[in-house]
Amino acid sequence: MATVTLNKLEKRYGATPVVHGIDLEIADREFICLVGPSGCGKSTTLRMIAGLEDISGGEIRIGGKVVNDLPPRSRNISMVFQSYALYPHMTVRENMGFSLKIAGRPQAEIDKAVAEAASILGLEQLLERRPSQLSGGQRQRVAMGRAIVRRPEVFLFDEPLSNLDAKLRSQVRTEIKKLHARMQTTMVYVTHDQVEAMTLSDRIVIMRDGHIEQVGTPDEVFKRPATHFVAGFIGSPPMNLFEATVADGGLAFPGGATLPLPARFRQNVTAGQKVVFGLRPDDVYPAGHGLHSGDAADLHSAEFQVAVTEPLGNETLVFASFDGREWVSRMLNPKPLRPGDKIAMSLDLSQAHLFDAATGRTLRN
Amino acid sequence: MKFPRPSAPTLLLLPAIVVLAAVVIVPLLLSFYSSFTPFRLTKPDTFFVFVGFRNYLTILSDWNFWVAFGRTVLLLTVALNLEMLLGLGLALLVERASRGQRVLRTLMMFPMMFSPILVGFQFKFMFNDNIGLVNNALQALGLTDTAIPWLIEGHLAFIAILTAEIWSSTSVFAILILAGLLAMPREPIEAARVDGCTPWQTFRYVVWPFVMPFAYIAMTIRSLDVARAYDIVKIMTDGGPAGRTELLWTLVARTAYSDARMGLANAMAYFSILLSILFTVYFFRKLAAARSQIGAEW
Repeated sequence: MATVTLNKLEKRYGATPVVHGIDLEIADREFICLVGPSGCGKSTTLRMIAGLEDISGGEIRIGGKVVNDLPPRSRNISMVFQSYALYPHMTVRENMGFSLKIAGRPQAEIDKAVAEAASILGLEQLLERRPSQLSGGQRQRVAMGRAIVRRPEVFLFDEPLSNLDAKLRSQVRTEIKKLHARMQTTMVYVTHDQVEAMTLSDRIVIMRDGHIEQVGTPDEVFKRPATHFVAGFIGSPPMNLFEATVADGGLAFPGGATLPLPARFRQNVTAGQKVVFGLRPDDVYPAGHGLHSGDAADLHSAEFQVAVTEPLGNETLVFASFDGREWVSRMLNPKPLRPGDKIAMSLDLSQAHLFDAATGRTLRN
Repeated sequence: MKFPRPSAPTLLLLPAIVVLAAVVIVPLLLSFYSSFTPFRLTKPDTFFVFVGFRNYLTILSDWNFWVAFGRTVLLLTVALNLEMLLGLGLALLVERASRGQRVLRTLMMFPMMFSPILVGFQFKFMFNDNIGLVNNALQALGLTDTAIPWLIEGHLAFIAILTAEIWSSTSVFAILILAGLLAMPREPIEAARVDGCTPWQTFRYVVWPFVMPFAYIAMTIRSLDVARAYDIVKIMTDGGPAGRTELLWTLVARTAYSDARMGLANAMAYFSILLSILFTVYFFRKLAAARSQIGAEW
């Protein structure tokens, strides 16, 4: 049980900065995800917390104690690696008991801890096998078992599901969530998959180019993205984001189309300002085929031309053009549409986002 | 009379069979046969006298043969173990080098590029009791004021030969183990560090099991090498003084060419090959076990 504090944490390789002095406070027993595109510094940050990378600047505290100069073994952490990192020459039992054996614990205690972890993860039947005799999902569970056995203060996960196929991924994802509920331990989880981040975390940290873009609950980062980047990164399919210019109470798009400027942004923009307008696929839908969540006055109608549709059963993604650009729309209770059809779309502007084109920051109050 | 026409595969294989027969099979059979004769190079007629196992009985009851045999096994054991330790150390150091690793790897292979004969001459010079570098250095450092008879006293001569052998071949171990280290995935090492291992424990429980198969490959190659050690010894001591550094193959060569007793020498040679086969089988077993242990997919 411990908090983790990053204070102006920096990482440089030679002269190249990779992590630019980030601050983050992770609460005790919190499940936090570091998410971002590859190269954003999320794995480096995790490895610095683990002690596998040197820290170039700032400090890391685990449970209030500065651990900058402590080797990984003295930080009381466990880590689950993307490639599982099991010891190939040891059986599942030996893999899981290894850390306790190294610590010189009595055999009875090791057996008990391994048996307990094995029962949590359903590994009882596999204890005498070697990693090479296991499937990917089983290896991943052994890697988690190895982490559990240590009873660490902090669990670190480095993209643990990347090597699994889609079905197994969602299954193990659920197991990790159950594990967190059961273990009541601080967990830091790195992923590039925003779905994993959304489904697992208490809070999400979205990183980009070594900076933190936003920290918030899944709900916050989805509904109130702080930047243009977060808006585009979180959500699947991604938010429709298009550049526009503020012009007398409206938004002028490059192709000549205009949309009214939602009232809540009026205070924060000036005429002629370049902005990025964003609307989630759920908030653009063929008239009558979506969920309207706001004031009817904010519902704007426009004519779109269908380019292609992707039926998903209970809903259909419609790719349609407006102002010469392709928008994505989520159509509930689908009706058949053919490419080239002209349809009236409802744009729920009460849900629209507006970002400053220069800084990328939200123009919401 | 009409010969049956050979089939196409037989016909196509025939050139290879003829070559193999000429250079391998016939000499092998002839030498094996001659080990059952009192064949002397100086008396060709003796090639046709069959004496059964007399040569084998002679060598098995010959004390000098057993001493040479035992000394070869001793050299093999000591040299291989030391070479492995040194090679492992070298490989670990080179693996840590953050720059210039290619240059170091090439440098490391230098001793392998010299003919063993030249290595023998070089070490013969270095260990020379009058003009050698070793005595010179020891005396200059004030460690001794006598000329140590390196190549003349039996035990010292063995050590001198061992040194030359190790110098020339440690890199076999170093290179193979380095290959193992470079092929090793990083994550298990990092996992071990997180799991609480000290650097020594990480090496002992994670790195070593992984490089072990590579060490066994080197062991196999080198055991064959040392079991047929001849050139370095021939040059440095020629089995002397008074047979104190005689190894199996120097003894075989002496018997065959100086004493011209080819039949007896061949019997020794066939017996010695047993030694090599034993070592090879032993290390291959170890290799297979080590490989299956790390779940190697090669």
